[in-house]
Amino acid sequence: MKAKEALGLIITVLSLLIFAYEILYVGLVTRNIGVKGDVATDAILISAGFLLIILGPALWLGEVPTNLKKLVEAKTGRKLS
Amino acid sequence: MDATPVILILVVVLVVYGLAYVFYGKRILEKKVVRASPDRVTPAYEKFDGIDYVPANKYVLYGHHFASIAGAGPIVGPALAMVWGWGLPLIWVLFGNVFIGAVHDYLSMMASVRHGGVSIMSISENVMGRKAKYVFLAYVWFALVLVLAAFFSVASSTFVGTPTAATISVLFMPIALLFGLLVYRTGVSVKTGTVIALVLLILALFYSLNVPLYLTYEAWVVVLSLYSMLAAALPVWYLLQPRDYINAYLLWAFVALAIIGALLTFNYSFTGPIYTSFAGPGTLIGALAGTSTGKASIAYFWPTVPLVIACGALSGFHSVVGSGTTSKQLSNELDALLVGYGGMLTEGAVSSLAVITPIALAWNFAALASATGLPVSEVLLKAGVNTTATPIITGLGGADRFTVGYGLEQAVAWSRIFGPGVFESAFLTFKTFAAWALSAFVLTTLDTSNRLARFAWRELFDWLKPRNELAYKAITNRWVASVIPVVLGAIMAYPKIEVYIPELNKTTVVYAYSIVWPAFAGTNQLLAALALLTAALWAYAIQKVRGGTSLLIMIPALFLWITVTAGLIWWLYAVVPGLPPLYQVGAGTIVAISVVLDFLLIGLFITGLRRARS
Repeated sequence: MKAKEALGLIITVLSLLIFAYEILYVGLVTRNIGVKGDVATDAILISAGFLLIILGPALWLGEVPTNLKKLVEAKTGRKLS
Repeated sequence: MDATPVILILVVVLVVYGLAYVFYGKRILEKKVVRASPDRVTPAYEKFDGIDYVPANKYVLYGHHFASIAGAGPIVGPALAMVWGWGLPLIWVLFGNVFIGAVHDYLSMMASVRHGGVSIMSISENVMGRKAKYVFLAYVWFALVLVLAAFFSVASSTFVGTPTAATISVLFMPIALLFGLLVYRTGVSVKTGTVIALVLLILALFYSLNVPLYLTYEAWVVVLSLYSMLAAALPVWYLLQPRDYINAYLLWAFVALAIIGALLTFNYSFTGPIYTSFAGPGTLIGALAGTSTGKASIAYFWPTVPLVIACGALSGFHSVVGSGTTSKQLSNELDALLVGYGGMLTEGAVSSLAVITPIALAWNFAALASATGLPVSEVLLKAGVNTTATPIITGLGGADRFTVGYGLEQAVAWSRIFGPGVFESAFLTFKTFAAWALSAFVLTTLDTSNRLARFAWRELFDWLKPRNELAYKAITNRWVASVIPVVLGAIMAYPKIEVYIPELNKTTVVYAYSIVWPAFAGTNQLLAALALLTAALWAYAIQKVRGGTSLLIMIPALFLWITVTAGLIWWLYAVVPGLPPLYQVGAGTIVAISVVLDFLLIGLFITGLRRARS
């Protein structure tokens, strides 16, 4: 596993943990996330999770999917690197 | 109040769109103008790069295109235009949609597909010359930065005002990513992936309804800026395609519910008038409320209607999407009609069936209560609308008119099935659902705009490539090109500035972008006119389309150009003198420059047309 992929995996796991905590625990227990009119820790955490969950898998699994490559190769007859 | 039954409008809208798609779209545009062929290899394959040029499934691309072109415009514009009565906005939406907007979107996309996926701005070089291309590109890039600023602000305000919309937006992203990874990485079929994603989406919707997410306006601007930068730079197959595909289901549900609502309220008549006046208040076209120009009836339906109703009928932004992200993902030329022409008709359906029809039905609250026997005033009061002070729906702001109108139509409809006991809860649920739909439209447009700004930026610097490839690569690097518009957009959306209004002798606080925002409506529609003229010229000069078919494109293009140019000149004459000095400098200067560019580009169009004829 390359360093970039390992970092992506760590970020993905971290973001999933944040999501699980905020959604399944904080949200269900308190019936809201964050404090109205304020920048509370929970709101910062879930916002960070929202951004990290986009970035993490992109680094971890960011290569162009094989089936997509095959589709293009079949249509164009060109070998993709 | 008039006696037009809801069902009549539903039938008219569906029949017009159905006929337009088959007879104009399929038989004329696809077969005679574009001569689309499934055998031609599209840029998505030819220039495949795994990031922006990636072939997409027809329905995925339709979802992307529809979700991207539909921002706040198809909702807020028609809602505001209702002060003319519901008839004129409906006619403009139908006419504009079929003969201008959908043609403009489809031809921009196909012209781009035939030119390697470059933007309509770059295509103008082939028919209008090199100068036109760079003028056009710079103009669009600045317009996109302005869109980013406005949508950062609109989305942040929506999330603060409706915190449950923030919850669903945050939950939506991992669901979309999961769908993409399942389909592309694990080989799960699109059908199975869709079912899994939709089940999760429904659970997320129920969760969001009960758990609001609170953050401040400023914090949302920062979060959305970072999101926009990430989403614009990452490969389309990873986030954009799955996100827009799943999002389209949410938006289809929104349109489908509007149709069901109209069917269930079929025999009720609209409580609003078909026509009020040809002249609306100046606030409709950007004059400040409370000033003499704001109160004056200076917003004449013609030529100012395109400045009020944008996306629902036609919008220049669409040509940038069609010839930007969409053309780079089209895998088969025959898919383009559904994506481009069909996508625009769907957006028209949002305006006509989900905005104009519900507002026309719920226009007069007392009349609606009397016709349905439901406690309209009591329920509205609980939702913060005092019907004594605001007896008709046009007393509310644009977005509120839409959410209240949509909520009331749905509540009336479902009360007929389940009894009056569900009226209040149905109203509150569907009013929230309408706000979610609005924020979903805005959010998808937000990151597409940034990606499009990146494309425009890259094409703007293409002259540098043969001279210094290293410098070109550094300047057009996808992360660099994504950060610049985001930073500029956030700078305009974040700070508040004080504006002195001499006529009222008071100071008001506004977000910085709003100083130039009044110019956007006009410049965006000017872009639509110029893009349609370019597409018409492309059909004439390159596709060699002649006779009645050519005129069918040329005449609406010229009509639009005349309308928008007249509207902008009227705006400079009637609205600008009443604006505070800062607005006059900001928005006034932009529109004045745009009008000059407008005449320059129409000159280049005429030259191009003469050259093509000879």
